[in-house]
Amino acid sequence: MQTNFTIAALADPAMRESEKILRTCVHCGFCTATCPTYLLLGDELDSPRGRIYLIKDMLEGGKPASEEVVKHVDRCLSCLSCMTTCPSGVHYMHLVDHARAYIDHTYTRSAPDRFMRALLARILPYPQRFRAALFAALLAKPARPLVGALPFVGKRMAAMLALAPARAPAPPPVERLAIATPQRARVAILEGCAQPALAPSINAAARRLFARLGVAVVPAPGEGCCGALVHHMGREEDALAFARANVDAWTRLIENGGLDAIVITASGCGTTIKDYGYMLRADAAYAQKAARVSALAKDVTEFLSTLDLAPAPPAGLTLAYHSACSMQHGQKITDLPKNLLRNAGFAVKDVPESHICCGSAGTYNIMQSELAGRLRDRKLGNIARLKVDAVAAGNIGCIAQLSSGAGAPPVVHTVELLDWAYGGPRPEALPKN
Amino acid sequence: MTAIAFPKPDPAILARRDEIIAGLAALVPPECLVTSEDERRAFETDALTAYRRLPLAVVLPRTTEETSKVMAFLHGAGVKVVARGAGTSLAGGAIPQEDAVVVGLSKMSKILGVDFADRSMRVQAGVTNLAISNAVAADGFFYAPDPSSQLACTIGGNIGMNSGGAHCLKYGVTTNNILGARMVLADGAIVEMGGDWLDSGGLDFLGLVIGSEGQLGIVTEATVRLLRQAEGARPVLFGFPTSEAAGACVADIIGNGIIPVAIEFMDKLAIEICEAFAHAGYPLDAGALLIVEVEGSETEMDAQLQRIVEIAQRHGVSTVRESKSAMETAAIWKGRKSAFGATGRVADYICMDGTVPTSQLCHVLEKTDEIVKHYGLRVANVFHAGDGNMHPLVMYNVNDPAEQEKAEAAGMDILKLCVDVGGCLTGEHGVGIEKRDLMRHQFSEADLAQQMRVRAAFDEGWLLNPAKVFPLDGRTIAATSAR
Amino acid sequence: MILSPTSEAELIEAVRAARAPLAIEGGGSKGGLGRPLQAQDTLSLKNLGGVIFYEPAEMVFRARAGTPVAQLEQMLAEHGQMLPFEPMNHQSIYGAAGAPTIGAVAACNISGPRRISHGAARDSLIGVRFVNGFGEAINSGGRVMKNVTGLDLVKLQAGAFGTLGPLSEVTFKVLPRPSTQATLALHGLDDARAIGALCRAVGSPFEISGAAHLPAGILGDAPRTLLRIENVPESVVYRLGELQKIVGGGDTLDAAQSEALWRQVRDVAAFASPDARALWRISTAPSRAVDLVRRVQQGGAVAHFYDWSGGLVWLAVETGDDARAADIRAAVAACGGHATLVRAPVDLRARVDVFQPPSAPLMALTRAVKASFDPNAILNPGRMYAGV
Repeated sequence: MQTNFTIAALADPAMRESEKILRTCVHCGFCTATCPTYLLLGDELDSPRGRIYLIKDMLEGGKPASEEVVKHVDRCLSCLSCMTTCPSGVHYMHLVDHARAYIDHTYTRSAPDRFMRALLARILPYPQRFRAALFAALLAKPARPLVGALPFVGKRMAAMLALAPARAPAPPPVERLAIATPQRARVAILEGCAQPALAPSINAAARRLFARLGVAVVPAPGEGCCGALVHHMGREEDALAFARANVDAWTRLIENGGLDAIVITASGCGTTIKDYGYMLRADAAYAQKAARVSALAKDVTEFLSTLDLAPAPPAGLTLAYHSACSMQHGQKITDLPKNLLRNAGFAVKDVPESHICCGSAGTYNIMQSELAGRLRDRKLGNIARLKVDAVAAGNIGCIAQLSSGAGAPPVVHTVELLDWAYGGPRPEALPKN
Repeated sequence: MTAIAFPKPDPAILARRDEIIAGLAALVPPECLVTSEDERRAFETDALTAYRRLPLAVVLPRTTEETSKVMAFLHGAGVKVVARGAGTSLAGGAIPQEDAVVVGLSKMSKILGVDFADRSMRVQAGVTNLAISNAVAADGFFYAPDPSSQLACTIGGNIGMNSGGAHCLKYGVTTNNILGARMVLADGAIVEMGGDWLDSGGLDFLGLVIGSEGQLGIVTEATVRLLRQAEGARPVLFGFPTSEAAGACVADIIGNGIIPVAIEFMDKLAIEICEAFAHAGYPLDAGALLIVEVEGSETEMDAQLQRIVEIAQRHGVSTVRESKSAMETAAIWKGRKSAFGATGRVADYICMDGTVPTSQLCHVLEKTDEIVKHYGLRVANVFHAGDGNMHPLVMYNVNDPAEQEKAEAAGMDILKLCVDVGGCLTGEHGVGIEKRDLMRHQFSEADLAQQMRVRAAFDEGWLLNPAKVFPLDGRTIAATSAR
Repeated sequence: MILSPTSEAELIEAVRAARAPLAIEGGGSKGGLGRPLQAQDTLSLKNLGGVIFYEPAEMVFRARAGTPVAQLEQMLAEHGQMLPFEPMNHQSIYGAAGAPTIGAVAACNISGPRRISHGAARDSLIGVRFVNGFGEAINSGGRVMKNVTGLDLVKLQAGAFGTLGPLSEVTFKVLPRPSTQATLALHGLDDARAIGALCRAVGSPFEISGAAHLPAGILGDAPRTLLRIENVPESVVYRLGELQKIVGGGDTLDAAQSEALWRQVRDVAAFASPDARALWRISTAPSRAVDLVRRVQQGGAVAHFYDWSGGLVWLAVETGDDARAADIRAAVAACGGHATLVRAPVDLRARVDVFQPPSAPLMALTRAVKASFDPNAILNPGRMYAGV
């Protein structure tokens, strides 16, 4: 596509990168067809092609983001379905990330909007604060209708409460695991931020399974949120700070004893960590280290697929496999999780419209609760057609989102199912026999 | 770059913009009306991005009735209308103009009914081509025309451009697969053409409207013909050392009375581009590739393939590779159908769409190469060989005005060549703005005047998609050529 | 006076010279089709014949309008090809001596049983040249299969019955003639079960190229339901076998029997001259065809049979005052579709709508389009609708 940037504007490396991306777009429109918000709203402005055009116009003009541009960019889930569809290889993710950062710098949001975003940015990425907030949410949950009636922020606060699980998850179990011999690998597992508070059982399952398979897990002091949550809000500096902290934590391990992989059990985080190399490309002190971290980052199913797990007897359970957008579009991991589950004895069905987002998308289900709710219900409708016992998914965001819907079947993390199939406890979310 | 002229916007309309928008706002809710400059910008072009015009406003009606009200209002106000489906036109068919309102059908994406006994389906015009087939695939049916943009393009747009696709060698194009349609005329009147039966009597208005590029009305609903899927389908890759050998093989297959479902052609550059995107196993060492698809039971496909392979061997085929799985088949077609977009990874391009008699394929390929080389550019060829519908992709740098001019000149030369060897300017993309000024190369003044009089019978004021199809300068002829 | 131009130049001359309506005809095989019109002069195209080109390897020919269909069919057969749409020959129902011409096939959009799988004449017609009311020769379409250059006047001309101008040349795409055919016949089914079986078969992957139901008394004493397959011999055998599983048995007619029977279906031999009953041709959705016939039967006896899987109903009725037009139009209005009074005495065809009356906005467009071709109403005026 033709672009029209000034030479001065192109002096900025981020602008140069975006120009390069825009030049690869041929405006063919294929991306509109697989965009969740376009499917719901039928307005090109709420499609990747429309957003690319809005972003192009904003960046080319060097003008501050307008209310309209912000509205349509905010409605983007960053599900990256468009990137899977795009024949021209347009890197929409980097373009929209740039646009969000640009918006953050040039646009003043309304006070309630600022309040909500600051609240989320200050709580979600921090496990202690998140756990405290979750506890508060549990207490407040019965008051959801009242909260919903609050002016300006009520709808979003209510959406937040709706996502909180019905009861407090058990505190992280302390297990001493014997690592099977011979030891086959040495890895770190991302602890992250929200997941240990919402569902500590996921990483616990990964640890048990790894131990049985002879994979040693080493702790990485200083590691925390991957930065995705603030990254998607356009808070670029905050995101980079999280990224640097994690790069430091894992680099210490890499340089002291080495790491075979950095295993991630939340695909949303995985997509971001795999992008650290790009995010920190202009930071001379970090570029190389970040690229190394990105290269070691593996989704847990990617890593498990390298271990040749033995086939397990039929489990008598039929699953729908819900592929998180960050999994299938962000990381292009499509068949591996299903193959692992089938090999582990589960019957696995694909969800119709599997390429369409469930509406979770980081904080999207709080900030754009209405669209997110419609996407969730559409997804649950598609799952219901399959008549399955449970849903397997590889991302905590999707698990929380789908579980919040009315009549949702149990939604369980892939690694919990695998752990169960290979000798671990039955996942708690599954109904008792 | 402005080689293709647009009419000067009507200042009287521009001056009444606020009033026009207020009128529209009274007819549709805010989420169906786009008025801010930032937002209108996204509708200024389609897939022919070298040309752009900011529309006066964009309306996205949700029903036929809403469309009718909008059209009646705009007609009364004397405002021009440009219909838009998914905006995937490669010919600029949906490019607006400053004094026109875009009426977009993207919110009308409902499937209204499926009838397997009568093999038909009623849909709103904004339903995508692929969504139609997807909705009935589990029951073993499909909708036949399959333009490469089928994932995104709408049935309304397909009707506007009489779209084809890879499989129309056997199944025909849009006009052969639509049974009925509801259309809103320029003044807002709603007409029903055809039905869910074959061959409605009277003048074939449906046939006239299909391919009329939004100049006769806005189609809001259509009844499409469904076909039963074959028992099996198998694409086979045939690699040839040269384009000439591949072209001669195509002529020979058809000359032998074999009509495969599809025969697609790619030259070396196209093979490289598509393989890099789709990893379909296209032979990178071949000078040209044919994708030939056969249908039927396993035995039937084997028998037909055997005959095709024998013919291909006579033309020195270097690679023959059959798809062995549904996944391979999908990859083979994904590569072909993404060819244009994938070319975008390499360079900007314009895509020509002339059709030539199949006996002229080799000659035209050779000449195309000469033409493009003459302008110092590169060309990738990927097209529907079975029916002679060429798609040379002339590659250039759109940010370089001199190159754009050369690319367009090369494109025009290629299209003239297609007409000169007995073909036509456009096989399935439509005339749009892109080929408008070449129409006199294919048609006489009398031919064009007759078409324009028919057009005027539907839209006396030339309000519907007015800058398209017909040369801008000849339009008075329509009114004055009566004897 | 009969004008019989032998070249396009003479045809143009004839149109330019005309000051009163001209009745246009081809070989004279279907003069009884359409409304009668008051014209002093007849413009006959039967001397404007001859093949302009035929390219078997491209599967396309162009011929002048007056070329006899039989001549073209023989030419195609010599190269193993055929007209895909299997045009009906109206000689049998009108008892006419004249031979059908290719121009009339195009102008009247004449198809036969194979329409169900291969489209109508208009689907194979890819180019026309005609003379409009201004006396100008106009080209539309061309010789290639895919062509969206400009408005599709080819489609408009197919089925315009010459009212938009006499055709001088037509270009058709053709297809290889399948090496053999066979027909599966089911016996003794009532209409509803027969149409059900036809629809199941047509909805199968076996490419049925003829699907008719002949009730008792139509070309035989007992009801027969017919499904034709045309292909290479191995496929015909295989597909017949698969088809029997779908429709539950039936016996097979070999190629010669099949060919003869489908010719009778195509030419409506059941109601051939000297049968002089009024004859209706009704197009509807197959699933509603039986109901449509039942509605007409409520008003009095009819003879009928179905082609196109039930989508085409041929109805023979006593001529009476209106050839049952009121009943039939009401049934069509209830069930959807359109009806044409194909055969009736001249006075009746002047009195009763021969073609399905279009809706008011479509009628207005019909008039406007007619005027855009022929503002002085010289060319076959009134053939389709009074005053048009």
